[in-house]
Formats: sequence, C-alpha cells, structure tokens
Amino acid sequence: MSLLTIKNLSARVEEKDILKGFNLTVNPGEVHAIMGPNGSGKSTLASVLAGNESYEVTGGEVDFDGKDLLDMAPEERAREGLFLAFQYPVEIPGVSNVNFMKAAVTEVRKHRGLEPLVAKDFLAYMKEKKELVELDGKLAGRSVNEGFSGGEKKRNEIFQMAMLDPKLGILDETDSGLDIDALRIVANGVNKLKSKDKAFIVITHYQRLLDYIVPDFVHVLYDGKIVRSGTKELALELEEKGYDWIKEELTEA
Amino acid sequence: MSEAMTTSILSELVSGAKSANSFKGIRSEAEGFLADSRIPSKKHEDWKYTNIKRLFDNGLNLVSANDITFNSVDGVEVYWSTNEELVGSTAIHSKEAHAALNTSLFEKALVIRVKKGAQVNEELILQQVIKLNDGEFSATRVLIVVEDNASLKCQHHYSGSPQNSSLLNNLTEVFVGQNARLELNYVQEIGEGNLMTTTEVECQRDSNFTTNCVQLYGSLLRNNVNIRLKGENVETHLNGFYMLNGKELFDNHTLVDHLVPHCESNEIYRGILAGKSTGVFNGRVFVHRDAQKTNGYQSNNNILLSDDATMNSKPELEIYADDVRCSHGSTTGQLDEDAVFYLRARGLDEFGATALLLTAFAGDVLKAISSEILRSELEDKIQNKLKEMRA
Ligand SMILES: Nc1ncnc2c1ncn2[C@@H]1O[C@H](COP(=O)(O)OP(=O)(O)OP(=O)(O)O)[C@@H](O)[C@H]1O
Ligand SMILES: [Mg+2]
Repeated sequence: MSLLTIKNLSARVEEKDILKGFNLTVNPGEVHAIMGPNGSGKSTLASVLAGNESYEVTGGEVDFDGKDLLDMAPEERAREGLFLAFQYPVEIPGVSNVNFMKAAVTEVRKHRGLEPLVAKDFLAYMKEKKELVELDGKLAGRSVNEGFSGGEKKRNEIFQMAMLDPKLGILDETDSGLDIDALRIVANGVNKLKSKDKAFIVITHYQRLLDYIVPDFVHVLYDGKIVRSGTKELALELEEKGYDWIKEELTEA
Repeated sequence: MSEAMTTSILSELVSGAKSANSFKGIRSEAEGFLADSRIPSKKHEDWKYTNIKRLFDNGLNLVSANDITFNSVDGVEVYWSTNEELVGSTAIHSKEAHAALNTSLFEKALVIRVKKGAQVNEELILQQVIKLNDGEFSATRVLIVVEDNASLKCQHHYSGSPQNSSLLNNLTEVFVGQNARLELNYVQEIGEGNLMTTTEVECQRDSNFTTNCVQLYGSLLRNNVNIRLKGENVETHLNGFYMLNGKELFDNHTLVDHLVPHCESNEIYRGILAGKSTGVFNGRVFVHRDAQKTNGYQSNNNILLSDDATMNSKPELEIYADDVRCSHGSTTGQLDEDAVFYLRARGLDEFGATALLLTAFAGDVLKAISSEILRSELEDKIQNKLKEMRA
C-alpha cells in the first residue's frame, strides 16, 4: 500500500490559484525529489500537506497511510508521522529547543500509546539525535532558531525530524545555502533515518544534494502541477539545461 | 454627579475616620489637600481609561481592614505602628487624591525594617486577603525601610474575593538606603474587586531596587509605581506582567525620576489581553537636567488574543540632560501565527503551542523574580488563566 497518495490537488492563497491538479504517489522506502522554477508551488505543496491554514484547498484528495490527511489538524498530521522541514524555519524567542522538543516528543509518543520519557532518558535520546546531525550541544539549549545561522537552522530541522521519527519527511530546500560540509551532514542525517517503511520528499533546486540523497524519482513541478517525472538523470539534465526546454515543450504541446 | 457632591463624599469619608489621633501632621496636610480636590474622573489625563470615581459616586463606607499577615524572618522587624516617623515622608499625599485619601484614612502602618548591614535571604511574604463587601472602602499602609548596606526580598500578595463595588487603597512607601538592595514583588489576584495600589520609592546612592508586579485577577487594578533615584549609581528594575480576560481593566502607571547622574533604570511591562478587557500602561521616565550619564530603558509589549480587547500604551520619555542613553518602545499585536503553526507542525496542539509562546513572552519578566518558588507558582497561575482565556 502506498504511504501518500495525492489526487488532483488544487490550492490557492490570497485568491491566487497555485496548485492546479497535482498528483503524486509515494510508497514506503522511496525518495522523491521535486524540482521546479521559483514560484512554481513547491512550498505551497509542502505547506498544504503540513496543514497550514493560510492555504485554501480548493479540490482533490490526499491519503496518508490510509487516513484522510486533509481532514486532520496540523498537529494530528505531525503525530501521524508527517514531518515538514521548513524552507524558512521560524525563530521563537524565549522557547528553548529542549523544552520545545520535550513537548513535541511527548505528544508524538502519547499518540503512539507511549509514556513520556523520563528526564534522563529524554536527554540520552536527544544526545543520540544531536550526534546524528552533528548539532552543536549549545544550540540545543538556546531559543528555537533564534540567532541561528542559515545552516544551523537547517540542521536544527533535521535534528527535529530525527527526534520525531516520522514516516514521511518533506524537506523544503533544506540544502539551499549550505556549504558542502553542512550539506553532507544534512544528507547523512537523512540517509541514516531512511528505512524500508519510511519515505522522503526532497524539494530542491540543486542536483548536488541528489548526489548524497539518491532519489528514486525526480519530478518537475511547473505552474502548479507535475509536468515531467523521471529518474535521477532528469535532475542532471535540469541542472545543465534549466527549465526553459520543458516550458517550450509544454507550449508546443 | 456634581463636583461638590464628590467633594462632600470625600469629606464624609475622611470625617468618619476613627484614627485621627495618630500621624496628625501628615493627615492634616492630606486633608487640606483633599478639601480642595476631588477624585479624578476620566477627564483627567492620568485617569482617562480607568474610572474609579464611579465607585465613590455610588457611595463608599470606610471600614477597618488591616488584615495583612506576614511570616517571621530573621533579621527583619515587622510591626504595626501609629507613630513611625518616616511614614508620609515621601510626601505623595500632596500630589494625588488617592494617595492623600490613603494618608488621611489608614489606621496604622505596617512597618518593615531591615537594620544597617543586615543581609536577609529568606523572603518576607505579606499576605493581604481582601474581604470587603459591596460599598466598602478600606485604606492600608505599608512602610519598608532597608537601611544602608542591608538587603531584603519581599513579596506582597493580594488575594481574596472582595465584592465588586468595593475598593481597597494601599500605599507602600519604600526607602532603600545607601548600597542597600531590595526586591519587591507584587501578586494581585483579587477576583472581582477593585484595587488601587501605590508604591513610592526613594533610592539612595549605590543601591539596587527591583520591583515586579504580576496582575492576574480583579475588576479594576490600578497600580502606580513612582521611583525617585536620589543618589548616584543606583540600578533599578521595574517590571510588570498582566493577563486580562472578560471585562477586567488593569492600569499601570509608572514614573522613574532620574534626579542625579550615573543611574540606570530598566523597565519591562508585558501583557496578554483577551475577552473585552482593557489594559493601560503609562510609563514615564523623567531625566532631570543634572542627571547626566543616565541609562534609561523602557519597553511595553502586549499581545491581544481577542478583537474586543484594547490596550492603551503610552511610554513617555522626558529628557532634560544632554549626555544620556535612553530608549523606549511599545508594541501591541497578535500572537505570531507562523510560530503557532511551526509548533503545531511538530505535534503540539493549538493550546499547547499558544501556551508555550505566551509563557515565553512572560519569561522575560518572570526571570527577574529571584524566588524559584514564587516563579513556579506564577507559572502555574499563568497556565490556569491561559486555559480560561482560550474560549
Ligand atoms: N502566503 C502567501 N501569500 C501570497 N502569495 C503567496 C504566499 N505563499 C506563496 N505565494 C505565492 O504562490 C506562488 C508559489 O509560491 P511557493 O512558495 O509555493 O513557490 P516555490 O516553488 O516554493 O518557490 P521557491 O523555489 O522560490 O521556494 C508564488 O507566486 C508566491 O508568491
Ligand atoms: Mg519554496
């Protein structure tokens, strides 16, 4: 059975139609890359899947692991195992990463019928996940994302993903702006989390990431729908030739 | 109601006082002031949003209610007095009708004194449980003297459930001696009653004075804090945190008077408003011509959880010296929706996310409270009030 099935999804924001009949099926164990020009709707897709209420779903269905995703509140989606690594993680002054993660992990565990971790076990668990993404110990004690560099924010997203152990991770440009070391750390984090029952949707502009996180499929999102799908060779072709040739083919058709 | 009638209500209240034999000097001065004045109405700039006068217009009977209890703390003398010399020497009664009313009507003053050099670590806790019935008025008075080189932490906790057309007026005078330290925390949670509190502070050189006021429940809470920095090198912090719901009205008026050079004042007032509540913040920082090298910082931040809540914020910085570092700022807005979504996307429900953000918002004020016990009590109370506000 597929993990995520998106059928004919349409969405708008502030009276503007962004997604226009989007289809995608993701099976457990798969990695899908979504590429596409700026403004094509990649982050909108991610936001709609995560349940951001400023985006209005105007049509279509999304099934997540046998449940109607669009019917769930954002927190239910998270507890069910959907995780979005934000393109622009939010800074939250005064809330420490530790307290935030303690609250989040407790909620997710509760949903899975597990008791909250006692302080000692929680700290050990956190230490293990911090090491996975080589997150500086000090960052974990600071306010969520406040004053973090771009790379630190992205690493913090992957750290949170590791903590929450989702079934589906959606990474929205987690690689953008990273130097090669940070990129390798982020990609390693993802690769270590990969398993046969988990899947990832990796939104990116750069083929470079896909050398580290090897996708099973590459899709091109343009004007609110997938206009082309292929394997990782498609990413190479896009990197070389840009998107114009796809746009041209579309207008010819 | 006419002014003449309001004035006669005041005289009636004052002439009904039983305690005319004590504190004669300051009382006659205050009564002289009251004879020509009246309880300020909403026409008065300082009372624009806060109508206490209506309580007087409906008639108030003076009752005796010196029900402040306290723990015994080594190194602190606490006693009721009818002749303590320092009482009244901040001269507040010559400026403001409610203060003058307090001076003419309080029966005895609760005096708290820490002798020269005494370092008191345990917190002194004043518990004032207000039990006034409709139409009742009472005035209480506190004097805190922290002598040179001494230090004290004191909490004044107002609670009880007075009826909703009663009024308690408390005036606390504070003297912080040379190189002395005082942390003075207020918690105000009085159900439906009305409370008018004034704190008049004088700080001598090299002293350190911190006051935090947390307002949680009351129909009307009016809190005045006036701090005079009389000696050089004083550091003072004044903070407030308020949470309003329903039709509550909380009003904070503060004044920091920089009279001499090289002093520092830091002020953070923050609040969360829900329902149809109204908040008022008026913070004046006055830097006199001689007060060079003053550092004055003030901020007031408010979060509105409902469209029907109103915040009136007015920071005022008046600077007559030319070599100072001062800043102030005021913000009033909604909760950061992006932050709420971010937290929900990690599994916190809407209330959990909101509570985490608002607790963090309160944190900047709460961290100035040194007592861990008080802080954690307040955190619980804040959580409870947030639950009530979520509707
Ligand atoms: N909250 C919003 N309010 C108004 N317009 C929005 C909002 N979010 C997205 N849009 C618009 O929707 C379109 C798609 O935006 P989206 O962020 O999904 O693109 P993207 O493919 O992620 O682009 P990028 O590669 O630059 O991240 C853009 O035209 C954008 O301006
Ligand atoms: Mg985007």
